[in-house]
Amino acid sequence: MTTRTPIEVEVRAAGLEGSVARVLRLGTYAAVGLIAAGVILMLVAGQSPLDAAPPLNPWALPADLLAGRPAGLLWLGLLVMLATPATRVAVSCFGFSRAGDRAMAGIAALVLVVIATGVILGTAAG
Amino acid sequence: MIVALLMLVGGVAVGVFGSLLGLGGGLLIVPLLTLGFHLPLREAIGVSLVCVIVTSGASAGVFLERRVANLRLGMVLELFTAIGAVFGGLMAFLLDERVLAGLFSALLIYVAVSMLRARSTAPVGAPRAIATDVVGPRGEGFIAGLAGPDYPVHRLGPGLLGSVVAGIASALLGIGGGLVKVPVMHMVMGVPLRVATATSNLMIGITASTSAWIYLLRGGIDPYAVGPTAVGVFIGASIGSRLAHRVDVRALRLLFTAVLLYTAYQMIRRAAGLQ
Repeated sequence: MTTRTPIEVEVRAAGLEGSVARVLRLGTYAAVGLIAAGVILMLVAGQSPLDAAPPLNPWALPADLLAGRPAGLLWLGLLVMLATPATRVAVSCFGFSRAGDRAMAGIAALVLVVIATGVILGTAAG
Repeated sequence: MIVALLMLVGGVAVGVFGSLLGLGGGLLIVPLLTLGFHLPLREAIGVSLVCVIVTSGASAGVFLERRVANLRLGMVLELFTAIGAVFGGLMAFLLDERVLAGLFSALLIYVAVSMLRARSTAPVGAPRAIATDVVGPRGEGFIAGLAGPDYPVHRLGPGLLGSVVAGIASALLGIGGGLVKVPVMHMVMGVPLRVATATSNLMIGITASTSAWIYLLRGGIDPYAVGPTAVGVFIGASIGSRLAHRVDVRALRLLFTAVLLYTAYQMIRRAAGLQ
């Protein structure tokens, strides 16, 4: 592994902040856009938010989206929103690793492991 | 259609209030959905978790670009808030809803009392930009690498423990957990308040999304209820952040305290099985 000067590390880390901020902003706006489109379709269809929505079925999502069903857009928006923080951590992990900061890259990887544990436990118990 | 619009408007109101008073929306979304729209408490908590991720997502990006949030400290602490959130998310499905209502009313009373006792009347607005160290270790040891250029970080152990508690509280009650994280970072770890607020906001995404995955996969999140509420809260938070320096929050704070106490009373009735 090459040794980087403090200035090189600083420049890389400063770039990392910008990348992380972009991921957060892009993910949030994309999710809100999808959810808002779903809400408009809900209003057009006269769908009440108190009705039970069809459960999440990833395989049916493309068909729901193509058919313009509100649940399809809402589920996709939800998935994008929930995946955005984990994507931010993955980008941080990569960035810390490139900056030669193994400890922080390891911690970011552990955060991803904890999230994955939650997903696995949620799936197993669901 | 009318219910969806009412939920949207309710979300906007919650977003504006939360943003003006520097609180996450979670504290008000759960009462809005349970007391206003009669959603089951656990489902309301799931919706609230999604809403706090939405509101923190956009603002966390701004705090990072302004270099207020401490990315390194946030990453270390959010490992432990995420662990707490996994436990909390699993516990939420084991506890009776009346227990959750009791815990939520205790939280509301705590916040109401804190607001009444608050000596400062200034809103907790957007933190002033300062140069924080997210760059690399300065000094010796792991904890030195978490410090900023003008502030050290102390007592990592209690900070990590507080983060686990914040994660559990977030997952059980559908809040961002800033009520725990900010005091822990500021008062226990010695981090300046503006950095603690921004870093807590950055951490909300991981804290809330970890348990939100559990809620979603266990069928605890209904997208029809999430849609209007999340969009409303997002719009409301955007309006609130623009109004923050134009509104006298003293009267608002009193009104908010009254709303919290009334909501706590309703939640206690629910916990006691009277509703």
